[in-house]
Amino acid sequence: MYFFDWNTFWNYLWPVTALQNPLIRSGLIVTILVSIIAQAVGVILGLVTALGKMSKFAPLRWIADAYIWYFRGTPLLVQMMLLYFGLGVMHIYDFPDIHIGLMTITGAIQAGTFALAVNEGAYMAEIVRAGIEAIDPGQMEAAKSLGMTFGQAMRRIILPQATKVIIPPLGNEFNNMMKTTSIMQVISAGELFFAYTQVNARIFKPFELFIAASLYYLLLTTIWSIIQNRIEASLGERKIPTVRTPGMFQRLLGAKGH
Amino acid sequence: MKTSLHLKPTKNKREIIVKFENVHKYFGDIHCINNINLEVAKNEVLVIIGPSGSGKSTLLRSINHLEKINSGSITVYGRMLGYYEKDGKLVEEKEQVIARQRAEIGMVFQRFNLFPHLTSLENIIESPIHVRKIAREEAIAEAKKLLKRVGLEDKAESYPRQLSGGQQQRIAIARALAMKPGLMLFDEPTSALDPEMIGEVLDVMKELAQEMTMIVVTHEIGFARATADRVIFMDDGQIIEEGTPKQVFESPRQERTKAFLSKVLI
Repeated sequence: MYFFDWNTFWNYLWPVTALQNPLIRSGLIVTILVSIIAQAVGVILGLVTALGKMSKFAPLRWIADAYIWYFRGTPLLVQMMLLYFGLGVMHIYDFPDIHIGLMTITGAIQAGTFALAVNEGAYMAEIVRAGIEAIDPGQMEAAKSLGMTFGQAMRRIILPQATKVIIPPLGNEFNNMMKTTSIMQVISAGELFFAYTQVNARIFKPFELFIAASLYYLLLTTIWSIIQNRIEASLGERKIPTVRTPGMFQRLLGAKGH
Repeated sequence: MKTSLHLKPTKNKREIIVKFENVHKYFGDIHCINNINLEVAKNEVLVIIGPSGSGKSTLLRSINHLEKINSGSITVYGRMLGYYEKDGKLVEEKEQVIARQRAEIGMVFQRFNLFPHLTSLENIIESPIHVRKIAREEAIAEAKKLLKRVGLEDKAESYPRQLSGGQQQRIAIARALAMKPGLMLFDEPTSALDPEMIGEVLDVMKELAQEMTMIVVTHEIGFARATADRVIFMDDGQIIEEGTPKQVFESPRQERTKAFLSKVLI
């Protein structure tokens, strides 16, 4: 008979006690930082890929299509293992630890972040493209008629408008990203879930520990939902009539916003 | 009333601003511009009328290369726009070259196409600052004059969605004028407007017609009568009839022109 160990559960849930564990403390920091960095790089890759897909130059379009096809069509877990172990074995990149001041960025964290970013870029490419395509083609024509080049028109006219279309799905992607960082556990990158599995290996309380871990993710995604709502509300107030987006509770609880 | 063309000071050396030579364009099987030859002189106001699908908008948009053509040549200020000729074939220019040429041609669209994320003033100064590289203060001073000219000096800080259609179109005209173009193209500028707002836009255009080379695609026969130096009637991608407003509207020679005018002139 297995008794739920409330004491262990509270110890590893309540931040004051849980964060005394250096593994969990650094795991939480790594999860947050990796999410932000991987998402930011993913957005940049997505933007570049979306523009590549719209290029007049056919080989650029092919590269963009192949990239999206591969990274959306294969499992992230496989991509991550492939990158970390594959590149190492081939001696293309050995993922050495990088020391910055007091921080050490392990090879596993680098590989995990890289895999998450590249995978995210493929998804962001479609989101960015949809955002650009949502803008009335008359905007590009007006910009061109005023003497702007394609690049100028994109930067100054199209993308500022497309951003408002892109931000709601981007927020959802970031929500996913924070949860998906947990698969870095398989390459022993020291993120939050890895920390809990390490503790579990020592004291074997999987039920208590993994519920506590899951609640930390829930906390992160809930905080993010609040931030996302603020951002979207401030966008909605200004300038552009935007599409109605689901509110925080609808988003959290998955209700349809009709 | 505007004086007719031959009384203008440019009388002897009539400077040609736009020239079409044997221009053809196809959309798939449709021959939407069929062998157009046309000259527009400096300070001339040319009005193009015709049924929808007659190719008049396509013709206008091909002048600043928003539409590609299949053969022939279009020159603006004596230079081909969008293409150069190589071994008798049209080759598309680099986009920087096209952009530079487009900067000299103002265009006003049916759906205004103001930039919704920018205020009226920002819409107007955007290209002078970022294309012409004019100092911001100078661009703002110029924009304020233009806003006054179109009667909207109090709307500088308004966003397009806060303006009526007529006001948006007047801002769009000011935005085009801010680049100090030598030629203005109007693509059905009043077709998307409520009837009570058409007048305010046409008034601005009439005033502009005193000093500008303008090509206007429109259904406003009254405007054409009062303002045009020359009217062209197009159908099936061809110029069917051409003449002064008086000739075209009062004594059209072609049956197709008569049939069209009987529908639009009530």
